[in-house]
Amino acid sequence: MNDSRQGVRDPGTPRPGQRRVLVTGARRVIALELIERLLDQSRVDLVVAVDPGACPARLLGHDPERLVFTSADLSRRRPVDNLFLLEPCRQKPLDTVVHLGFQTNPVRYGATAHEFNVNSTQHLLAAALRHGVEKFIFVSSDAVYKIGPRGDYKIREDGELNLDPGTHPMLRDTIDAEFLCRAKMDDPRCEVMVVRPSGVIGGGTISGFNLLLESHPPVLPVGFDPMINPTTKERLVSDLLLATFLRGKGIYNVAGVIAGPLSRFLEQQGVKAMRVPGPLLRPLNRIQRLLGQSHFHAGFHPKRLYYSLVLDDSRFDRVFRAHADVLEGAVGPDAPERR
Amino acid sequence: MVALDRIDKYGLLRPLLPAREWSRVEAYMLDDCGYGTDVFGTKAEGLGAAYVLAYWLHAHYFRVESAGHDYIPRRSAAVMVSNHSGVLPFDAVMLATDVFRHMDPPRLVRYMVDYFVYRVPFLGTFFRSLGQIPGTRRNFDGLVQEGHLVGIFPEGAAALGKLARQRYELLPFSHGHVELAARHGVPVVPVGIVGAEEQQTMLADLKPLARALRLPYLPVTTTFPWLGPFGLLPKPVRYFIAYGPPLSIDPEALHTMDVRVREVERVREAVREQIRVALLARKQQEYPK
Repeated sequence: MNDSRQGVRDPGTPRPGQRRVLVTGARRVIALELIERLLDQSRVDLVVAVDPGACPARLLGHDPERLVFTSADLSRRRPVDNLFLLEPCRQKPLDTVVHLGFQTNPVRYGATAHEFNVNSTQHLLAAALRHGVEKFIFVSSDAVYKIGPRGDYKIREDGELNLDPGTHPMLRDTIDAEFLCRAKMDDPRCEVMVVRPSGVIGGGTISGFNLLLESHPPVLPVGFDPMINPTTKERLVSDLLLATFLRGKGIYNVAGVIAGPLSRFLEQQGVKAMRVPGPLLRPLNRIQRLLGQSHFHAGFHPKRLYYSLVLDDSRFDRVFRAHADVLEGAVGPDAPERR
Repeated sequence: MVALDRIDKYGLLRPLLPAREWSRVEAYMLDDCGYGTDVFGTKAEGLGAAYVLAYWLHAHYFRVESAGHDYIPRRSAAVMVSNHSGVLPFDAVMLATDVFRHMDPPRLVRYMVDYFVYRVPFLGTFFRSLGQIPGTRRNFDGLVQEGHLVGIFPEGAAALGKLARQRYELLPFSHGHVELAARHGVPVVPVGIVGAEEQQTMLADLKPLARALRLPYLPVTTTFPWLGPFGLLPKPVRYFIAYGPPLSIDPEALHTMDVRVREVERVREAVREQIRVALLARKQQEYPK
């Protein structure tokens, strides 16, 4: 949290030299977008994209000198260590890890997913520190915050976490993974950073809000209209690029420009929601999922549809977005803006 | 900043307000975050519709008389501390309406609201659309930093359930308002409200049932529950509101409990004094010129 601690050199200043970046979870929409944006930057020598599955078609046409795709099981220590020993990495050692390889589907969650989520973070972080990586970025979620009727109008990074034992195990994994990162944040050799993005709307992402928007129809509790400030795929990727190219460690919220009631975002997308009494929400959501009408999981973060969660990302603004000119082509709608 | 120019999309509200009052509604500026609300969730159309109703209650039902508006800061932040009573919080509505009607430019009092309100479907959403947010320290910080008037009832929501025999007796004040005012260096404006205590005659508070329903109180009045939900409606008593000179809080209240207790007592005494002024005005049916 505190940038003034040991090992942080001038947060917000550009990291010198060329970047060699490992991106996990390479089949995720955000990761694909990030990889492509990284390859657009002349100060990126190499991107190593990792995923347990096959190489996505979108990555096939890129320069093999600058993009390497590899399949690896991140839940095991040895394959993770081997990533840093790949032939291209021997000549150009990796200096940045962006960890997006979290299993975020609450439907198929089980012991394997739990092991993958926690172990992959642990092994990646340990290997990154062993191999002299200068920056480790873990992309977490705003779902880690505790929300309820006594919520703050804006949640800062020191907001209360949802440590309720009854929460969805995937959420507990996210918090566990964050704690692993926090334990290493004082390491003087590596800047460990946790990014907590608000939900992403649009672009085919698997964020909760996007899945809700894509449901037929979205089912919401009657009488509640929480405030949210979702981000977009483009803005989140720009934020991750800034985190990659600039110095800074600690925990940062990243959110969208506009804050407003959920109903207004639905209206904006031309989506008409179905309102039901709160107790019917989860059974109806279950039926919808069984019928293939929704991928949204109402049980994952049940209070989200009732209570506001607006992230305060002024800290990220101050340290990173204020130096957005470090990115090549950071103009137009993708350029990080500030309201 | 955008003007509330879309509050009356269908032209239904404008005929219900005198032209002068409508121009006040239009003059209120909302810091739009993009989708017609400010960051606290205040909606332009919600405010407009609520003011139409509140104005009629203020001018014609409760026939509010008030004095001391000069003590309210015109632009900067302040904490408005008042007594609280009346089963349903019409006193809060009347205070906010009174400030909105008498300040130029119009100002909105934002209350620190009890959490239970936000658990109730529609009610929490409605309160938020009027700019009223849960009473947390960070919410208070945000409101004060953005220069708002923050309304606090330090007796708490339980004061709404005061029994008839406790009329115009102040319950013990919580300390939060003094601590927060000292931390931000903002003045506390004491307010006395007279009339709300008579809008309902509270005979008993069914505390065990209230606890079971997670409510701060459950009233038995001369009309409720005998007349059903209608029994909760207030009698058309006349309100008198008195604003007192702003108090600056000793910053030492942040460090010493004795000072904090003393400052809380000073605020309580100032509120009691304003109640006395308002009671006197009621006796004479007007404030002294």
